[in-house]
Amino acid sequence: MAFVKLNDLEIEVEDGTNVVEAARQHGIEVPHYCYHPGLSRPANCRMCLVEPHEFFPPAGAIVPARQLATGCTTVLRTAPPERKLDGKYDSIVYTDSPRVKKAREDILEFLLVHHPLDCPVCDQAGECDLQDYSYRHGHDKSRYLEVKNVPPKKDLGPDVLLYSTRCVVCTRCIRFAEEVSGTGELGLINRGSHDEIDIPRSHEGVPLQVLDNKLAGNVVDICPVGALISKDFLFKSRPWFMEKADSVCSGCSVGCNITVEYKADGVYRLKPRFHEDINQHWMCDDGRLGYHYVNSDDRLQLPLKRVDDELSPTHWADAIATITEKLSEVEAEDIVVIGSAQGTNEDNYVLQQFAHDVLKTTQLGLFGQSPGEEHKFPQFTIEADKNPNTAGARTILGSANGNVVLEGDALWEKVSNAKVVYLVSGASERTLEDAEKAALESVDFLIVQDVLPSEVTQVADIVLPGTTFAEKDGTFTNSTGWVQRIRKTIDPPGEARIDWEITQQLAKQLGGEMNYHFAGEIALAIAENVPGYADATHQKIGDAGIKLT
Amino acid sequence: MVEEKRILYEHLDVPDINTFDVFRQYDGYKGFEKAIAEYQPEEIAKMVLDSGLKGRGGAGFSTGEKWSFVPRDIEPRYLCCNADESEPGTFSNRYVLEKNPHLLIEGILICCYAMGIETTYVYIRGEFTLGKKMLDAAIKEAYEQGYLGEDIRGTGLNVNIYTHPGAGAYICGEETGLIESLEGKRGQPRNKPPFPAVEGVFRKPTVVQNVETLCNLPFIVSNGVEWYTQMGPTYADTRFDPPKPDANTGTKLYCISGDVNEPGVYELELGLTCTELIEVAGGLRGEEVKAVIPGGSSAPILTHYELDTRLDFTSLTLAKSMLGSGGIIVMNETRNIVDCLLNIMKFYAHESCGQCTPCRWGTPWVRDIVQRIADGNGRQSTITRPKFGIAENGRWGDTGETEEIYEDLDLLESVANNIANVDTMTWNTICVFGIAVSWPAVSYMRKFRPEFEAAIRESKLVTLPVAEATVPPEENYAYQQRFVPKEFADL
Ligand SMILES: Cc1cc2nc3c(=O)[nH]c(=O)nc-3n(C[C@H](O)[C@H](O)[C@H](O)COP(=O)(O)O)c2cc1C
Ligand code: SF4
Ligand code: SF4
Ligand code: SF4
Ligand code: FES
Repeated sequence: MAFVKLNDLEIEVEDGTNVVEAARQHGIEVPHYCYHPGLSRPANCRMCLVEPHEFFPPAGAIVPARQLATGCTTVLRTAPPERKLDGKYDSIVYTDSPRVKKAREDILEFLLVHHPLDCPVCDQAGECDLQDYSYRHGHDKSRYLEVKNVPPKKDLGPDVLLYSTRCVVCTRCIRFAEEVSGTGELGLINRGSHDEIDIPRSHEGVPLQVLDNKLAGNVVDICPVGALISKDFLFKSRPWFMEKADSVCSGCSVGCNITVEYKADGVYRLKPRFHEDINQHWMCDDGRLGYHYVNSDDRLQLPLKRVDDELSPTHWADAIATITEKLSEVEAEDIVVIGSAQGTNEDNYVLQQFAHDVLKTTQLGLFGQSPGEEHKFPQFTIEADKNPNTAGARTILGSANGNVVLEGDALWEKVSNAKVVYLVSGASERTLEDAEKAALESVDFLIVQDVLPSEVTQVADIVLPGTTFAEKDGTFTNSTGWVQRIRKTIDPPGEARIDWEITQQLAKQLGGEMNYHFAGEIALAIAENVPGYADATHQKIGDAGIKLT
Repeated sequence: MVEEKRILYEHLDVPDINTFDVFRQYDGYKGFEKAIAEYQPEEIAKMVLDSGLKGRGGAGFSTGEKWSFVPRDIEPRYLCCNADESEPGTFSNRYVLEKNPHLLIEGILICCYAMGIETTYVYIRGEFTLGKKMLDAAIKEAYEQGYLGEDIRGTGLNVNIYTHPGAGAYICGEETGLIESLEGKRGQPRNKPPFPAVEGVFRKPTVVQNVETLCNLPFIVSNGVEWYTQMGPTYADTRFDPPKPDANTGTKLYCISGDVNEPGVYELELGLTCTELIEVAGGLRGEEVKAVIPGGSSAPILTHYELDTRLDFTSLTLAKSMLGSGGIIVMNETRNIVDCLLNIMKFYAHESCGQCTPCRWGTPWVRDIVQRIADGNGRQSTITRPKFGIAENGRWGDTGETEEIYEDLDLLESVANNIANVDTMTWNTICVFGIAVSWPAVSYMRKFRPEFEAAIRESKLVTLPVAEATVPPEENYAYQQRFVPKEFADL
C-alpha cells in the first residue's frame, strides 16, 4: 500500500493504482477522456492533468513538479524509506491546485473549439463527459471566432453511427477494436485538426470493412461524448427520463452484469456494468440488442386454451381449473415437469417443489434455448449456451430427494411416454427439432408456460403467459458458478404473471402448502435446502454476486 | 573575416566521393578502422562523452550522456539514424546523404561498435529520393567491400543497415514519432518516459541520432578528443559547485537562407555570432537585418538587437532561443513579421500529428488568428491586463502596473501559451512540437508587437521600418534571459 497525500486527504492505495482511480476511490473526480480502465493508456486527451510533487526533490524539500502530469499514467507506489516525502508520504498529488484548474480550463477550451455544441439534438446529452466536465471545470464562454471544422457523419456499421463533429479523438473506440474485440475495424484518417475516426475505405469512399462484430456496441458506451451513437437507441429517449436497474443479461451463460434502462412502456436499452471476474466493462451485441422481445406486441398476455384445435384466449381461473383437473386425473409417473434455463433459480425452485411435494413426481426435465455458437475475442468470450441459468436450473431442479433432471434425448423419450407435461419455456423464438416436436405432440395434455408465441406454444393444449428477465426479481447462476441478481423493471404485459407465482397457484389449487410472497423469500428457502447455495440469499448476493464454492 | 572550418564537409565537393574507392582515397573508414583496432567499445563511448558532442538534430542533448542511458544487458539494441530533416530552413543532412553517404556509414559503424549494436535503421525523409538512392548505393558498396554485414573485416562485428523512407510528415522527425512510423504505425510521438534509449524501436533500447551527429564520430576517433574540444567554446556553468563545463565543441553545419547574398550550408566552428555568420554567407541582401531565426522555424526569433548572440547551444538557450537544427533564416527590412509568422503557423497547423488535444486544436487556432490579423480582420478592441517587467524584487514578473493590448494579440499569446507555456517552459502536450509552435508565435508577437498592432489598426499588413517594428530589449519580457548570463563565464 502506498501512503499518499491527495489534496487535503491522506489516503492509502494499492501499489500501481493510477491517480485517476485513487482519486475516484475517495470521491474526487479527475476528469478524463482517453483513459478507460479496460484499455491501454495513450494519455492523449490531456484532460486528467494533476500536479505531483517533484520526484527527486532537493534534500528535504517538497516542491511541486515543474510539469503537470497526466493522472491516468501517473502511478502511485510505495517509495523506499529514504525517499519518503515529509518523512511519511510515498507521494503527494494535487488535483485541485490553481495550476491544475487552469490546465483543465485550457484543455476544455481546446476540446470545444470545433465542437458543434448540438446538445439539444445529441443523444449523449445528459450523460456526456464533455457536458459534465465543461460544466464543472470549463470556461463559461468561448474565445473562438474562427470557422469550425465540419467533418461528415458516418455510418460505421449495422448498429453504430459516427457524428464526427462531436468526436474528441480520444481513440477509445480504436483501442477497443484493437485490444478487446481484436477486430481492428476502426482507425484515424487525416492528421492534426482533421483527424477523423473511420473504417477502411477505398479511394472512392466505399467501405472495405464495416464495424460489424459482436462486441461493436461497446464502442458506443465507451465513447465519452455523443460521437458514436447506437442506431438502436438513437432519438428514443433522453437518458434522464429512464429508470435504471442493475441486472444480468439473459443472452447466454456468461451472465454479463448489465443495467436495464426502462420507462413504464418498456425496456429502452441495456448497458454493461463492470464485473471484474465476469464481463469486465463489456457485453456483446446479441445480449445488448436481445431485449426487443420483451417489448414485443406479440407477447402472451392472456392464458390460451386449445378449443376445437385452436388456441384461443381464456381467463386465468379457467386455465388453472383445467390444468388442475387434468393433473389430478393422471398418475404421478405419467407427469413430467420441465423447468427452464431461462427462468430464475426461484422459478425453478418453486417448480421442483411443486413437482416433488405436490405432484409427487421425480421426473423433471430442463428446457431452454437451443445452443448457439461460441465466439472468442482477445478479451471476451460469448458462450454457446444461450441460457443465463443452465447451471442454476439444473442444480435446483435436481435438489430435492430422488429428483432426476433429464435433458436432451433422454428427456424427449420420457416426454413421449408421458400423459401430462408441464413445460416452462421462456425461450423466445425457440424452434423445435423433429424429435422434440414429435415427443411434445404425442403428449395428451401439454401445458406450456412462455412469453411469446413460438413452435413450442403451437403444440400446447394450454398456454400460460409468463415473464421475461426484465419483469421479475430473482437470481441466475452463470457457467462459472456466479449467482447474481436480476431485478424487476417493467410490469408484465396484460395478465402475464411471474412464473413462480403461476406454479405456486397451481400448487395451492392442488392442496400444496406453498406460500411465498416475493423472490427473496424463495432464495432463503434455496439457501437452506440446496447444497452450495447457503450464501445465495438476495441480501448477500447484492450487486456484486457471489461465487459458489 | 571568419573562415569556414570544413571537417564533415571537407571532401564534399570531391568528384565521386560517394563511391567507395574515392572515399577510401580520402581516408574513408580510417576512423572506424582505428576504432576497432585501438579501442574497446567502452573507450569509444567515453571519448564521445569527453568530446562534449551534442546532438545536432534539434534538442542538443549530449550524445555521450544519451549513450550512457542505454542498458547494455538488453538485446537487441538498435541504432536509428534520423535523416528525416524537415525543419523549415534546414538542409545540411541532405548534402551528406546525396554527396558523401559513406561518411554516414562510417559514423554508424563507430556508433554500432561502441554500443554493441547490430541493426541500424536510417529513416530518410520521403522527399529525399536522391539522398536515399545515393545512400542505398553506398550501403551496397560497403556490403561488397566487407564494411557491412557479418564479421566485418574479420573482427566478428556484425552490422546491417536498412533504409526506410518517410511519407512526408514533419512529426516523424521527432524521435518517438519516427520510431512509431518505422514500426509501421501512425507517426505519432510516444509519451515519455520511457525514452528511446531504454525503450525504442520494437520496445528495445535504441540510440536515435541525427545524421550530422553521427558524421562527427569518425573525426573524433581519428583526431582525438583533445583536437575536437579545441573547437568551439566551453562555458562554465556556475550554478553548479564546482562549475560544470558546458561544452559547445566541434563544428556545426549552419544552413543559412533568406536575405543573404550566398545562401547555403556553411560548416563553422560553434560559437560565432549572428553578424559573423551573415558575413560568411556573403553578407546581407538589403539594407538592414530585421530578424534572424537561429535554429529552424521552431526557434524563437532574434531581433537586430541580438545580432551579437553567439550561435552555440548555450548562448542561444541563454538568449531564450535555441540552436535547434542550425537552420538560420535571415530577414531584411522588407520582411513583414506577421506574414512570416503566418507562413510558419501554416506549416505547424498542417504538421501537427493531432494526437493530443492542445496541439491538435490549438495550432490551427493560432494559425487562424494570425491569418485573421494578416487579412486585416484583427479586432480593434483592446483589453487591459497586468504588465510584466522588472518587478519590485528585481526579477521579471508582474509589475503591478497594467497595459493595454489588442484583444487578438492577447488571445494569440494566451492560446499559444496554453499549448506550451514559453515563460514557464511547461507544456501539456505529449511531445515538444507544442513548444515549437508557441515559441515562434509568442516571440514574434512580443518582439515585433508594433507590426502586429499596425496590422490590426490599419486592417492590412504594414511593414514598419526596423527600428519602429522592434521592441527594445529593456521593454520586453520575451528577451528576458532564463538564466542570468553572468552566472556563465568563459572557461
Ligand atoms: C517536432 C520535432 C521535429 C524534429 N525533427 C527532427 C529532424 O527532422 N531531424 C532530426 O535529426 N531531429 C529532429 N528532431 C529531434 C529528434 O527528436 C531527436 O532529438 C534527434 O533526432 C536526436 O538526435 P541527436 O541527439 O543526434 O540530435 C525533432 C524533434 C521534434 C520535437
Ligand atoms: S457530445 Fe456532449 S457536449 Fe457534444 S453535443 Fe453531445 S451532449 Fe453536447
Ligand atoms: S468516436 Fe468517441 S470514442 Fe472514438 S475517438 Fe471519438 S470521442 Fe473517442
Ligand atoms: S504535441 Fe502535437 S505533434 Fe506532438 S504529440 Fe501532441 S499533437 Fe502530436
Ligand atoms: S485521461 Fe489522461 S491523458 Fe487522457
